Amino acid sequence: MVFTTAMMLVRSRGPDEFWRKRKIFKIAAHFSGRRRNCYSIAIKAVHRALQFATIGRALRKSDMIVLWNTRIRAGCEEHGIELNTFKEGLSRCDIQLNKKVLADLAIWEPSTFKALSDLSKSVSIDYELPGSEKYNVPTNVVTRGLLKK
Amino acid sequence: MSQFGRVKQWNTFARCWHLFDATWQNPLQCSPLIEKYLKGLHKPIYHPFVDCGDHVVIMNSKQIAFPGEEWRRRVYFHHTGYSGGASWTPAWELHEKDPTMIFRKAVYHYMKGNLFRRVVMERLHIYPDSNVPEEIMENITNQIQPLRPIPKTLDSYSNEEIEKYPKIIDYPQDYLLSK
Repeated sequence: MVFTTAMMLVRSRGPDEFWRKRKIFKIAAHFSGRRRNCYSIAIKAVHRALQFATIGRALRKSDMIVLWNTRIRAGCEEHGIELNTFKEGLSRCDIQLNKKVLADLAIWEPSTFKALSDLSKSVSIDYELPGSEKYNVPTNVVTRGLLKK
Repeated sequence: MSQFGRVKQWNTFARCWHLFDATWQNPLQCSPLIEKYLKGLHKPIYHPFVDCGDHVVIMNSKQIAFPGEEWRRRVYFHHTGYSGGASWTPAWELHEKDPTMIFRKAVYHYMKGNLFRRVVMERLHIYPDSNVPEEIMENITNQIQPLRPIPKTLDSYSNEEIEKYPKIIDYPQDYLLSK
């Protein structure tokens, strides 16, 4: 134990009740009312908060996935391609970009994202994926299927 | 922030105005489409806490269509708060009272209830006919494509088109068509 002040040294003697409670009060420091000052109330609130934190860790991941999907779908829509076709086209090209990176590209690198969507479009036309008949053939992409034709 | 960065931010978060013609459209099916533009789900910068949605102007809301028995069967509930204050209004009656109400309720109920819902709804402008005020019409930059094609009524065909329409048989002279 490191004592930063003399007061702490005095308090450290005797039972470790003070230190045990201090750990809880530190977690409850930002709570409101008696939930931050009275131990018996604080401990209940801390237990509750920690349970929420555990649930929240899983929720945050799923929330982010939903948000990334929304953003990628919006980016795809700007270039007239569906999200599923876009993903399928990328995976057939073996482009292993995850949802987070694709969402970031859609926001910060619009031209890169357009290039990806063009690529995905021409691949989906090559493999005749469902829904690919309505796409215009991008002129800036050369695929193996085009060369064969 | 540099001057260029500031202009870039203005352009990114600028609100657009979209026009939607509700003629012959089902408001229940249109509401996901309207919600997308109201909340800004069509922008890659979307975030639920960021106010990045656009304005949507809906015109001809008097001309909406419901399938089947929906006008009679669909009932809107209201309660005044006093005892015996409940009332149920069928859709056709509500539409007669206020032609914009059904569309507004359809969009409002489709959206998930949270603190932003009423703020987002403020950006929805509904007009019963095509008389949209000039100060709103001048903002519009985009038209949302309707979900369903507007069917052509029999009255709108000219006599020439009806005569040219391909026939399977010619009716005999003495065949009487009921009027």
